[in-house]
Amino acid sequence: MIELRNVSKKYSTGTEAVRDVTLHIKPGEFVSLVGQSGVGKSTIVKMLVAEEKPTKGKIVLGGWDITRIRTHDIPLLRRQIGVVFQDFKLLEQKTVYENVAFALEVAGYPKKHIEEIVPQILTLVGLSDKKESFPEQLSGGQQQRVSIARALAHRPKILIADEPTGNLDSINTREIIDLLLKINKYKTTVMLVTHNRDVVNSLRKRVIAMEDGRVLSDKERGRYAL
Amino acid sequence: MFLISFKRIVKFACQHFVRNVWLSIATMTIIVLTLFSLTTLVLVNVVADYATNSIKDTVDVALYFDNETTEEAVGILEEELNKIEEIKEVQHITAEEALEKFKKEHEGDEAIEATLLELEKNPFGATLVIEAHDVEQYPLIMGKIEEMKLGDVAEEIDYEDHQLLIKRINQFTDKLKSFGLIISAIFILVAVLTVFNTVRMGIYIHRREIGIMRLVGANNWFIRLPFILEGLFYALLSCIAFWIIMFVLLHFFGPKINTFFTEINFNIGEYMRANFLNIFGFEFIIIAVVNMISALVAMGRYLRI
Repeated sequence: MIELRNVSKKYSTGTEAVRDVTLHIKPGEFVSLVGQSGVGKSTIVKMLVAEEKPTKGKIVLGGWDITRIRTHDIPLLRRQIGVVFQDFKLLEQKTVYENVAFALEVAGYPKKHIEEIVPQILTLVGLSDKKESFPEQLSGGQQQRVSIARALAHRPKILIADEPTGNLDSINTREIIDLLLKINKYKTTVMLVTHNRDVVNSLRKRVIAMEDGRVLSDKERGRYAL
Repeated sequence: MFLISFKRIVKFACQHFVRNVWLSIATMTIIVLTLFSLTTLVLVNVVADYATNSIKDTVDVALYFDNETTEEAVGILEEELNKIEEIKEVQHITAEEALEKFKKEHEGDEAIEATLLELEKNPFGATLVIEAHDVEQYPLIMGKIEEMKLGDVAEEIDYEDHQLLIKRINQFTDKLKSFGLIISAIFILVAVLTVFNTVRMGIYIHRREIGIMRLVGANNWFIRLPFILEGLFYALLSCIAFWIIMFVLLHFFGPKINTFFTEINFNIGEYMRANFLNIFGFEFIIIAVVNMISALVAMGRYLRI
C-alpha cells in the first residue's frame, strides 16, 4: 500500500530531514511512526501527500509512483489519503456538518451525494447529534473527531494521523485512538505519527521508530523504546 | 459536476468580497477613479472629432463672377464642375439672388438703398459655391479649376484659414490626448497595484481555508478561480458604480457643460446615453483584464497550491 524506497529529503536550507528511509506498509495495517520532534516524521507525511518531493528515492502508494507527481494530479492523490493534524484545522465559521461537507464540496460532489455521505460519517465518528454545532462549542476530542470525519469524506484507503492526540487529555486521547482502531477495522490503512509513549505501548501494533532522519527500528508488535 | 463546482466557486468569490467589504470598497474606489480618467480620455477624443468635423462642414470654395458673365455661361461651368468627382455639391447663386440677399441684409440702410437706386445695373455677379466630399480634396479641386482657365472669374478661397484652425485644434487635442493617456496609465497602474494588494490580502485572510482546500484535495482552479472572479466582481461593480455617479453628475451639471460645446453642437448627456453600452463594454473589458492579470500575478507569488 505504502512503499518508500531509499527516500531522502534535503531542504534548500541544507537540513537533511529524511535519510535513506525504506518502508513497506501493507493494506489494512495499523502502523505507529514514532520518534522525538524533528526526526523526520512530519517530512515523511508531507512527502506522502505531495506537499514535499523527495530529493532521492521513490514513493509508491497503491501502485502509484508519486515521486515526481504532476501538479494537476496532486488533488487526486489527496482525495485518496485522509490526513488529520494536531491542530484539527477546522473552519471556525462552519458547523460540524459544513466542515465535513466542505471536503466534498470542493471536490465537486453534488449536494445529494453530500447529504447522503456526511451523516453516515458523522455517525461513524459519534457526532451525529453535534452536526449543527460550531467547532468552538466542542471539546478538543470532539473537534479531532470532526477532523477525522472530514478526512474520511472521500473514503480514503489510507488515513494518516499526524500527532492527533497532541492537544488532548488522556480521556480524549483514548477515544481518538479507539476511533482510529475502529476505522482500521474497516480495512483502512492507518499511519499514526506520534511521540506519545503510552498510546504506542497500549496499541501493541507495528511500530517504526525514527531517529535523526533514519529508521531506527521496525517491529511488528513493538513498544515505544527510544 | 462542472456547473456545481462553478456555483460553489461563485459562492466562495462572493464570500471573499463580502468578508473584506472595506478592502473591497477601497479597491473599487481606485477603479472608479481610473474609470473617470478613461472616460475623460474618451470624451476628449469625441469632442475633438466633433470640433474638427464642425469646422470641416463650414469649409467651401466660392467662385465669384463679374456682372458681365451671363447666367448661361455660369450654368455651363456649373455642369463642368459637377463632373469633377471630388466635388460633392455645387450651389449656383444667380446675380438676382445675390442682389436680393444683399438688399435683405441691408434693409433700412438708407445710404445703401440710395446707392443701389443710382446704379443702373445689378452690381453683383453670379456665384458658384463648391463643397467637396472631404476637406483634404480642396487643393485638388482648386488645381482642376485653375486648369479651366476661367479668365475674369474672381476667386475667393476660404478653406486655407479653416485648415489652419483644424491643424491647431488637432495639435491641441493631440496634446490633451497625450496628457489623458499618461493620467490613465498612472491610474491603471495604481488600480493594478491595488487589486494586486487586495488579492494578496485575500490570500492571507483565507490562508486557513486555502490550506484546508489543499488538504482535502480541491483542484487548483477551484482554489484560484474565486480570486479571479473576485477581480471580475470589482471590475463589474466599479463600472456600474461609476456609471451611476456619471449619470447623476450629468443630470445636474450636463446643461452647464453643454454650454461649452454649443458651437460644435455637442450634447454630453445625449452622447453618453447613446454610447453607454459601447463605453461601458470598452471600460469593463479593460478593467476586467487588468484585474485578472493582477490577481494571477498575486496568486503566482503568494498562493501555494
